[in-house]
Amino acid sequence: MTRYLSLYGYFLIQRFKILMEYRLNFFIGSASTAILQAASLATIWVVMRQIPSLNGWNFYEVILIYGLLTMGESITHMFADNLWTIGWNYIRSGDFDRFLVRPIDPLFHLLADRFCHDGIGNFVTGALLIGVSMYSLHVALTPLRAIYILVAVISGGIIFIALNLITATSAFWLTESIPVTQVVFNMNEFAKYPLNIYHNAIRILLTWLIPYGFVSFYPASYLLGRDAGPVVWLSPVVATVFILIAYRVWLFGLRHYSGTGS
Amino acid sequence: MSVIEVRELTKVFKIPKKEIGLTGAIKALFMPKYEQKTAVDRVNFQIDEGEVVGYIGVNGAGKSTTIKMLTGILVPTSGHARVLGRDPHKERVANAREIGVVFGQRTQLWWDLAFIESLNLVARIYQVPETRYKKLLDQFAEMLELKELFHVPIRNMSLGQKMRAELAATLIHEPRVVYLDEPTIGLDLIVKERIREFIKEQNQTKSTTVVLTTHDLGDIEELCKRVIIIDAGRLIYDGPIETIKQQFGKYREITFETIHSSERVTLPSGAETTHVEPRRLTVRFDRTLTTASQVAAALMNQIEVKDFSLSEPDLASIIKQIYNGALNREAA
Ligand SMILES: Nc1ncnc2c1ncn2[C@@H]1O[C@H](COP(=O)(O)OP(=O)(O)O)[C@@H](O)[C@H]1O
Ligand SMILES: [Mg+2]
Repeated sequence: MTRYLSLYGYFLIQRFKILMEYRLNFFIGSASTAILQAASLATIWVVMRQIPSLNGWNFYEVILIYGLLTMGESITHMFADNLWTIGWNYIRSGDFDRFLVRPIDPLFHLLADRFCHDGIGNFVTGALLIGVSMYSLHVALTPLRAIYILVAVISGGIIFIALNLITATSAFWLTESIPVTQVVFNMNEFAKYPLNIYHNAIRILLTWLIPYGFVSFYPASYLLGRDAGPVVWLSPVVATVFILIAYRVWLFGLRHYSGTGS
Repeated sequence: MSVIEVRELTKVFKIPKKEIGLTGAIKALFMPKYEQKTAVDRVNFQIDEGEVVGYIGVNGAGKSTTIKMLTGILVPTSGHARVLGRDPHKERVANAREIGVVFGQRTQLWWDLAFIESLNLVARIYQVPETRYKKLLDQFAEMLELKELFHVPIRNMSLGQKMRAELAATLIHEPRVVYLDEPTIGLDLIVKERIREFIKEQNQTKSTTVVLTTHDLGDIEELCKRVIIIDAGRLIYDGPIETIKQQFGKYREITFETIHSSERVTLPSGAETTHVEPRRLTVRFDRTLTTASQVAAALMNQIEVKDFSLSEPDLASIIKQIYNGALNREAA
């Protein structure tokens, strides 16, 4: 474990050396995610001007949901972006084989291979939005809330990673997994708004099957003191269950790969 | 000691059959049909510590597939493989520590990183002790002339530079077994020579076992005492390179471009025409019985020659002849 941590740190240092070499890219990457964020926020703002309250949630409350989702998403973006490109960059080219001839876990190697700095911008944006929202709503940052947010964000990140890992595994059969990943990933759009505005079916879907609700809506409900039941405590549990399932799925894909090759 | 042991090793690929049209596509989705492709077919061999073995065969013969099974990337369909007593797939990580692999044309280094940073990273992954690493780095830098490449990212390297870098990265953890899958493909002679020297040196000083695939007979002649030849997945020859050289190395071919279409020609004994086209004639001769100049002189006396060229038989033609049983016939 400590070996993997220090190895990850070393990968990270190398990655930043590359990024510094392409300084311009670094800033464009960070700026482009910021612009996308701004556009997204503008949409919410426009929506909320039309309907000042979404099923009882006002603008700043929706911003809290959005901030939590953004932070969770930024974690996949930073640490697991290679799950998007596994098919194109590694399997199709045969480069995936190099992970299999090295004495470390291939999934670790794949993820560590490219830390994606584009996520940093989103991480900061998400944190700011949470701050702005809580400040405007006079929700004090008590130590308990701080810990809750930390756990919720990490759990949220893990949920994102788990779902992307499951869909990325399809690359072992299809070579290109982006379309599959895209379909599931895009479901997080729903989780930018309070889940109670949707039909029951969608709510159940986003709670138990593609549980983006645990990244944003349920933690926000807790922080705002809304009565959402015990689910507000379940984010870490759901994250653990999903990442374990995802890892099983990944191992299954790996076994398939070792039977078929690229 | 036997380092690699392969018994009845077989790999069958199931390739989904593409069907035409929409109904075909739908059918393929629900009832996929597969074509079976036997890439490696009941192969047996055993390689001892410190051997350098040429593993050769034409394109698609099954060389890379064999190497992928020996490195743990692929699972055999049947039969078994042991490397240093281990199942390379089941004990993939333990196996990985002891082996090094070069797949020519691909790189295992980071495209954008300066070469030295890539090397540092590889050394960390393999947990090479610091002092050992420094020492090896100096040695490798000298033997492969790497000093001036240390700060060049892989993406800016020429093919030859890349391969030198690749070899250093593959051997920096001092693996006991090294698989080199076409390491010299596309390289110029000087680089080839340097790479061969390096492999030879590693083998001699560390008893590294080397399995080498190549299309270059020069690589084989300089490095391997033993070759294993496979064709269409089947092992067709396993033995000393000397035997092959004696049987086929004594032949040379001369191709003549002639002014007029050539009639029958008489040749010195030991020479025969193998290929006749209008205005082009290929003659194969046995070096132990005659010489190139005798053959050329004899021919030029009979017909007007515009140009001619001398060549050694290439690997593909040797393999074909072995496959046709030429070796057995001549050995008998
Ligand atoms: N992943 C794969 N899926 C299906 N067929 C494959 C795969 N890899 C190799 N083959 C087939 O197996 C045969 C042997 O390939 P390979 O081992 O790469 O040959 P070589 O390295 O000797 O050129 C070829 O016919 C090739 O098309
Ligand atoms: Mg090959």
